[in-house]
Amino acid sequence: MPTRRMDRRKFMKNLSATVLGVAAAPLLRSASFGKSGQGASVEHRTLGKTGLRVTSVSMGVMNCSDPSVLLRAFDLGINFYDTADCYMRGRNEEMVGKTFEGKRTKVFIQTKVHANHEKNMRASVETSLRRLRTDYIDVLVWHGHSSPGEVSDPDLFEFMSKMKKEGKTRFTGFSTHRQMAPLLREAAKSNFHDVALISYNFTHSKDMKEAVALAAQSGIGIVAMKTQAGGYKKEKMGGLSPHQAALKYVLMDRNVSCAVPGVTTIDQIEECAAVMGASFSQRNLNELKQYQSFLQGRICTLCGGCKGECPDEADRSDFLRLAAYHDGYQNDQLVKEVLEGNPRLKNIEPCSGCSSCAVVCRRGLDVRTQVKMAKEIILRS
Amino acid sequence: MEKRKYHRKLWIVFILAGVWACIETTSWAAALESLVPKKGLPQGWTLIQGPQPYNRKTLFEHINGQAELFIQYGFQGSVFAIYQHKERTQNQIEADIYDMGNAVQAFGVFSRFRNEDRPGGFGLDSYLDDHSAFFYKSRYFVLLYAAESNRDTLTHFSRLIASKISDPTPSPKEIGFFPKDGLKPASIQYFPEGLLGKQFLKKGFRGTYPNGEKETHLFLSIFKDSREATNALKLFQEDLSKKGKISPENVIPFGDQAFKGEDPYQGKVIVLQKGFYLLGGVGFEKDEGVIPRLKELLGRIK
Repeated sequence: MPTRRMDRRKFMKNLSATVLGVAAAPLLRSASFGKSGQGASVEHRTLGKTGLRVTSVSMGVMNCSDPSVLLRAFDLGINFYDTADCYMRGRNEEMVGKTFEGKRTKVFIQTKVHANHEKNMRASVETSLRRLRTDYIDVLVWHGHSSPGEVSDPDLFEFMSKMKKEGKTRFTGFSTHRQMAPLLREAAKSNFHDVALISYNFTHSKDMKEAVALAAQSGIGIVAMKTQAGGYKKEKMGGLSPHQAALKYVLMDRNVSCAVPGVTTIDQIEECAAVMGASFSQRNLNELKQYQSFLQGRICTLCGGCKGECPDEADRSDFLRLAAYHDGYQNDQLVKEVLEGNPRLKNIEPCSGCSSCAVVCRRGLDVRTQVKMAKEIILRS
Repeated sequence: MEKRKYHRKLWIVFILAGVWACIETTSWAAALESLVPKKGLPQGWTLIQGPQPYNRKTLFEHINGQAELFIQYGFQGSVFAIYQHKERTQNQIEADIYDMGNAVQAFGVFSRFRNEDRPGGFGLDSYLDDHSAFFYKSRYFVLLYAAESNRDTLTHFSRLIASKISDPTPSPKEIGFFPKDGLKPASIQYFPEGLLGKQFLKKGFRGTYPNGEKETHLFLSIFKDSREATNALKLFQEDLSKKGKISPENVIPFGDQAFKGEDPYQGKVIVLQKGFYLLGGVGFEKDEGVIPRLKELLGRIK
């Protein structure tokens, strides 16, 4: 007999059983997916031909606002930190430099430079060194390549070679968000790039996986960013953090040297670091791919982050839930139960007709589109 | 027959919804694009590229990984344009206008970009140097970059864009709560989550007070209601009990809803609650250095 009212906790519980399978859930919970303590296991991998031994879970510093998070990461044993000259107009580099002053030999710092005239690029590197309070960068990355031609640009080679010879940086590489597979294949042809910073996660194709393998085999150290897009709401996921699952999935690919998840809090870096001690079978990880709809931002995760943002206090979260049940989990029985339990939800007009929605989803979900979808579901039901 | 009528009605609803969505999207983009100056440009300057709109999905193509920061702060959309001097073509200025959803979030991004106090005199608050200018006004954060040193032209463009933003929304009131005496200029920042690196503090403001070579921070965390704030106060206390230490001292004059302790990364901490706010000081050496300021901060919260 279905319950008249499906609360969020119960929904998540049901969901984890439905999506992962009853057998997988206890297995996942039994793994050391908890928070990492001081003595958590730390896994090191070799960053391609650089030979640097970096922690498989490293840190993307960009969104980090407080030095305490960096210090906690350091205490957890994390030793590779990714920042950029442009992040917050250099404030991010300043924070890294100030925090790791006196610890420089114990950490590896990766920062970036943008394509420009040599004079400007040189000035950018010098400024980065000053902000980072160091006389060398470990990995200097050319920021944001978008075409295979850029990867084999002779001007880039020349400039980066000079930076190495002058001791400004130990190793060089490139970062990319687009056309990643062709870029990696092109990079693998030359012997120039030491590192590639790429967007890589469980949603990527087999082609991308092969390109990563090819680049790694050529000696390029693969640093994965955007490994995850989910929230940090593991208590609402039957004990399983989608964030950790996504991170672990990427690290199962041994061609990846390290991942640099972006974190803003101590809880988040502890959660990420704990992944280094977790082990899963390929089968379990394949099952985790089914969380894709959660993690891609296509549907609401019911994280509650937008609670209280609507000035008219609309029942927006219930509308989002309807859309999530229908579109994400394709379970119209749940939709029916929610509607039966909350007849007032049928009065969606004030919310769907509002032209000044003030609700902002931190994960980039288009709230208006979701409400429109809920309206269609209600009209159909 | 009834069924056909129903389907027809449903189709009309869908079509109207689609038309409404198109109008909404178009009018939103048009509103943002209208802020890009096309007339009244500084002498010798012309618009050569744009306005190019960006949304949450395409922002990465424009500013790479930094898009994450904007999305964290509630990014709604943006437009990008390039201006060029007609004679000296290397002399270009790039302009980005970001719709951040509201003034608090616009201030937040502004506060994360500003690393020193160099006001330019435009918008609600601004920064100006030889190569860049940025400001926030209402829900917009505006960033200009000049390839060549060009302070006067940057000022001209900034004022032009600011004048097109007619919304009179003032600065976030919380900025004015922080005591001015001893406050490091331009140091107040807003974080949409993870204030002080602590998940349970969620969103709030932080101001910096130099203390010799060290820095003391005052913070103001904002919750939906006093119950949420009380809950966060408890979580803070638990966090310090586990990872640092709680001082047995009574935190007079702040009463029961307050405690003192020591955080392994932030140093000494005082935290107290007022309504839906949690406020406090971290990183101070002596109580005398923080309590008067906290009293002042507390007194200003209405």
